[in-house]
Amino acid sequence: MTDKQLSPSQRDEMLVRELSRLPSFAPSRGFPANVMARVRRPQPKAVVLYRRAKAWALEPRRALVLGGAYAAVAVAALWVAVPWVVANTPAIRFVTAQVSGWFFEAIQDGALAAAGWAVSSGVAEFVRSLSLTGDRLFIALATLTVGYAGCGVGLHYLLRTPRGQDVALQHSF
Amino acid sequence: MPTAKDLQSLTDQEVVGLARAGKEAAYRELLRRYERPVFSLIYRMVRDRELAEDLAQESFVKVLNALDSYRPEYKFSSWIFKIANNAAIDQLRRRELVTLSLDGAPDARTADEVEATALQAVDQTESPLEELESRELGKSIEQAIARLRPEYRACILLRHVEGRSYEEIAEALDLPLGTVKTYIHRARHELRESLGPLRG
Repeated sequence: MTDKQLSPSQRDEMLVRELSRLPSFAPSRGFPANVMARVRRPQPKAVVLYRRAKAWALEPRRALVLGGAYAAVAVAALWVAVPWVVANTPAIRFVTAQVSGWFFEAIQDGALAAAGWAVSSGVAEFVRSLSLTGDRLFIALATLTVGYAGCGVGLHYLLRTPRGQDVALQHSF
Repeated sequence: MPTAKDLQSLTDQEVVGLARAGKEAAYRELLRRYERPVFSLIYRMVRDRELAEDLAQESFVKVLNALDSYRPEYKFSSWIFKIANNAAIDQLRRRELVTLSLDGAPDARTADEVEATALQAVDQTESPLEELESRELGKSIEQAIARLRPEYRACILLRHVEGRSYEEIAEALDLPLGTVKTYIHRARHELRESLGPLRG
């Protein structure tokens, strides 16, 4: 059937069908990367606020004013704090001695409890039976040290995160 | 964190929301959804692959950098097509590339210029005979589309090649709905007239 034999609506339908079959074109392979390289992604609000505050504070005049204000506040604080400490030295010494006494007492209690447990549970007997003296003690300590260092290095590699660069999220899918 | 598959099931508005929150994967999803439609529209408007790629890139950068100003009551597709169409129209006005042939711009003087301005289809999955027929027909349609006025061209491409609604086209091209319908009607009429003699 030629085009002339078709009704206008049939010709319209045919045209629409042909238009919908036109191929779609793809840009070059590097297109998304080129676009993404020029896109400014929003930063988390805390980072934005920090950067703004930093930029604001680093403006030379403001930095001078802020530095001066900081020094003035520090001097004023010392002006109040030093006489107060001098006037209250006996009380401060008493409180410090009290607190440090509690602290050392707690450490002593803990050490005694640990020693008591080691003796009563048989751990002390076990360690003594290993007869770790001289070369053996050195080897045991060296093995323990290397083991701890190895664990430290392993944890560092496991827990490290990339810094100063964006992580390509699509790689994690 | 949503995966690429999760993102595919989200609406444009939801993906834009994630992109606004700084999710790179959301930006890539928007690019994946619209790179072909936007590039195809611009390419069919300006008929120069390199130029179309530059304009498409500019359009995407403009849109993705201005996501904060996007108003969710409008369709994202309308917004991106509006930017892309404006970029193409501006370019056409600047270069006065209004009527071009499929085999290259009429002002192309060297073989390189002819090649650069000729349309190159990417999808070719038919048998050789079907491909030949389809290519011949496609070529005729592309030539006919190229002869349309830019505003008719944008309307007909968005409506029948990209499958967008009249409302969406009106939003994208900043035209009244009635004008869009008129343009599409006239464009179809012109295309029928152009293709009529070829079909016998």
